[in-house]
Amino acid sequence: MSSGSTVAAVASPPGKGARAVLRVSGPETSRLLAAVWAGDDPVPAARGMYPGRFDDGRGTQPLLLLLMPGPRSYTREDVAEFHLPGSPPLVAAALERLIELGAQPAPPGEFTRRAFLNGRLDLTRAEGVLSLVTARSEGERRAATLLLGGGLLDRIGALRAQLDVLRALCEASLDFDETDTGHVPEDELTERAEAVSRGLNEALAWERAREPERGLPQVVLVGVPNAGKSLLFNRLTHGEALVSLEAGTTRDALRGTWTVGDSEVELWDTAGVESADGDVERAAQGIGLALREGADLRLWVVDGGRPPAELAAEREALGTGAGRFLVWNQVDRPGVPAEPPEDLRRGLAGWAAISAAGGGGVPELERRVEACLGLSGGAGGEARELSARHRDALAAAIRTLESGLAAFRAGAPLELFAENLRAATAELDRISGRTTPEDLLDRIFGQFCIGK
Amino acid sequence: MLMEPTRRHPHPAPPAGLRERWTHDVLVVGGGHAGIEAALAAARLGARVALVTQRADRIGEMSCNPAIGGLGKGQIVKEIDALGGVMGRVADETGIQFRMLNTRKGAAVQAPRCQSDRHLYREAATRYVLEQPGVEVVEGDAQSLVFVDGPLDHLETRERERARWVGGVRLADGRELRAGAVVLTTGTFLRAVMHTGESTAAGGRAGEASAEGLSADLELLGIRLGRLKTGTPPRLLRDSIDWSRLDEQTGDERPQPFSWSTDRARFPLQPQIACHITWTNERTHDVIRANIHRSPMYAGRIQGVGPRYCPSVEDKVMRFADKERHQLFLEPESLTTDWIYANGVSTSLPAEVQEAFVRSIPGLERAEFLRHGYAVEYDFVQPSQLYDTYALRSVPGLSLAGQINGTSGYEEAGAQGLMAGANAALWIAEREAFVLGRHEAYIGVLTDDLVVSNPTEPYRMFTSRAEYRLLLRQDNADARLTERAAELGLVGDEQLAEFREHTRRMDALKRKLGELRVPGGAKSFEEHLRRPDVSLADLAATTPELAEWAGATQLLDSVETDVKYAGYVERQRLDVERLQRQESTEIPADFDFSGLTGMGTEAREVLARLRPRTLGSASRISGVRPPDVALLAIHLERHRRQGAGA
Repeated sequence: MSSGSTVAAVASPPGKGARAVLRVSGPETSRLLAAVWAGDDPVPAARGMYPGRFDDGRGTQPLLLLLMPGPRSYTREDVAEFHLPGSPPLVAAALERLIELGAQPAPPGEFTRRAFLNGRLDLTRAEGVLSLVTARSEGERRAATLLLGGGLLDRIGALRAQLDVLRALCEASLDFDETDTGHVPEDELTERAEAVSRGLNEALAWERAREPERGLPQVVLVGVPNAGKSLLFNRLTHGEALVSLEAGTTRDALRGTWTVGDSEVELWDTAGVESADGDVERAAQGIGLALREGADLRLWVVDGGRPPAELAAEREALGTGAGRFLVWNQVDRPGVPAEPPEDLRRGLAGWAAISAAGGGGVPELERRVEACLGLSGGAGGEARELSARHRDALAAAIRTLESGLAAFRAGAPLELFAENLRAATAELDRISGRTTPEDLLDRIFGQFCIGK
Repeated sequence: MLMEPTRRHPHPAPPAGLRERWTHDVLVVGGGHAGIEAALAAARLGARVALVTQRADRIGEMSCNPAIGGLGKGQIVKEIDALGGVMGRVADETGIQFRMLNTRKGAAVQAPRCQSDRHLYREAATRYVLEQPGVEVVEGDAQSLVFVDGPLDHLETRERERARWVGGVRLADGRELRAGAVVLTTGTFLRAVMHTGESTAAGGRAGEASAEGLSADLELLGIRLGRLKTGTPPRLLRDSIDWSRLDEQTGDERPQPFSWSTDRARFPLQPQIACHITWTNERTHDVIRANIHRSPMYAGRIQGVGPRYCPSVEDKVMRFADKERHQLFLEPESLTTDWIYANGVSTSLPAEVQEAFVRSIPGLERAEFLRHGYAVEYDFVQPSQLYDTYALRSVPGLSLAGQINGTSGYEEAGAQGLMAGANAALWIAEREAFVLGRHEAYIGVLTDDLVVSNPTEPYRMFTSRAEYRLLLRQDNADARLTERAAELGLVGDEQLAEFREHTRRMDALKRKLGELRVPGGAKSFEEHLRRPDVSLADLAATTPELAEWAGATQLLDSVETDVKYAGYVERQRLDVERLQRQESTEIPADFDFSGLTGMGTEAREVLARLRPRTLGSASRISGVRPPDVALLAIHLERHRRQGAGA
């Protein structure tokens, strides 16, 4: 990726109910901005925040623009951040538009690389971020395998295999004499291409449909009534939930957005585990249980002043595992230990000591939660961008394949069709790994007896 | 600007103290297709060159198929020509059948091929060598390398242990030649063994000795060697073949030469001949299957791995058991001899089995053998030890080109020879290295592939290896390379002047196409020509304003392709530009990959093993992901800053 180009990427996790941020960096930023800026106001040029509308070529959407002309930006280049409604199709359309206009999709770590090269980050910091990005892509691969197992990856895998066969047929025709390979009829090539195209469109529709199921990382507050969950929820989300000092007043699962470092998570407050009395309570608890099952992280909120034996029993009920985090509350009250005892901490992903009422320890809590979720250091959201990137890659692959097919039908030579197939494969490679020329040759040699 | 590309050699230039004892500047060991181009390129750049060969009467021998070019390879020949090399000119002078392949496909994958008279070819190639000022042919058997003392502190610690400067070669008769650089182009001759059935003999080509001592010297230097295999088919007596029963294959009606230097008015220089086609059958396959245990490959006597794209007939029959027949081309090796090359039945089966299966083939029932097929097994150097100047990373003064690097084919060999010879001369002259990128030439693809690979079969060029295939056409090799070659001094004034005149005419035609309007419409000729069904030759023939170009077939074809491919070419050009910075960001020879903190183990290990020369090259290695590349870029930048500060 040349430093002279202008890159664009989704810089925030696109989730349902959240806003999305598209970040653009590079010398072409102002041109791109001028091209997408819609409305009567003049195109902003100075540093600042501007409400407006984003023209994605098909329509406009509400926009909050954050403009940071270089060198006063993360990368020291001109940077524009487009804050858009968190609707995945709209975000995809906006990114697509920027790319159409000449922006390059930013590979992982690109903003950081630029920040370093332009002297904005020192080496240690840049190394830290990038090793995290590296770790993230590994994690992403695993996440993709886990999250999408039996889903998109399988579909893409099968389509890739079909596409590879098609490419091998084309390449064999191009690289070997017909006496070697036999003539592959054009009909067969176009039929295969159509089948791949149909499959890709189905995969894209499938991925689009399932996207809203996922979103931001899910963090759930759990604990006995009156441990301070609702108060903490309120503090973290800046006041969205009902707070009461009477036990059991949280009657339903509440949801809010919690900003952790540079990223956002979806925070849920649930009914306390002990107060299953009336129907409403039961319903709320049901939701709470379900959420606890599917959560990325469970914050176990504990009143540090309670007797150790009760806490031990509660600890037992919570179970162990990576997704559990202890929040030691009420540390500002006299008699409450400053840290949770060792036996409560054991086997958990982490802990923090706070005062939900006074706010003490909350920044540290956020840092530790950020680390647990792997969101820290500017590399945040990589894993959760996955779905958006997949859709983007699929759409690009479909466009490339279909335009190549149309040209081939109109009489364009095979090598141009092959070029489209190569480009479409490269798009899919962004999802599921790469095909090298060697892989293609393996396929060709496996299929044809070639050579004089 | 950060990370400004510099074209460096891996080693500091030879110290002045050594130069006094030089008998030459560059020694080229081997007189094959790599050696010829290496010697000529070095000499064109002003080096005093000795070409050392076991037999001066075998310079430019076509050891296998007497043909030049082909798919993916014809493009390389055109590039060699554009860089001032001789392969294309020799082929033009000696070709007895010319064909443009893939004419039913698009221009980017069309490639010229010719069959040459192997004796004329050898003579013409030898003549070019002898006529080149600055090249001396030394007949002798290079048995060992001469080591000299030179600075080694630029090497990595682990390399330094066994590394030596190479300053010459010692011949079997005791003579010693001293030079700044030695280019080994020994082809399949390193510890070569020939197999025919159960019998084996040392030697790299029928009737010629193997080079034994050099392998040992390379091992002494810590160079990793591998073993490969290649084979050649039987040669049959012309009059013993029943030609009447075979299909004929003729060359192109209007043959096109490889070289821009070739006088088109006199072309082709040789009478043109036809080849003939026949097929194996079930009986052939039965004979082979019944005797498969006697094939050295199948009996396990050959360890080396043979090429999949040029399989022996044993492989064809065994691996593709369902195929009922395989094609053979019967190709005359010469206008003046009776030798027929049986293209398609490369084999190392015992002589009597070869005779039995060949005589089961229609037309060959009474075929007489002038030479039986055989397999050659030979040492090659794992090419990942090379720098992209073809100099060994760990041995100052030693470069390698051709089949010794695990490649196959005259064209691939010639290309490497040219680049290795040119860079050896540039290094000694303390000039910048000359390296081509993947987007500039098939030669660039070849080089870049080689230096990060450890091939398991002989490497052959395919157009599918080139990401920028649409840019790398056989007909625009001169436009891609000639100006640069002229700047370096590889191409003479005459070739440059011709090239510029050709370019001027092309540009004038393109301008004209932009100006002229299609009658009754607002469309320009250029826009009109983008349609697949419109031909420029037709337009030129019927438009008075284009009369100047009518009949200039090659020029018209080139311009038509430029116009028709413009959109795709533009896209590939943008891709290239995007990658250019990465491509041109060099990784210093002494860069410590093990110090890449923060990178995953797998990526770090593969980088340390293959030691890519540029960031671009690193990014194409399997197992290296984009964040790894970004991290590498940052470490390179730190390395650069520290270097600048120190």
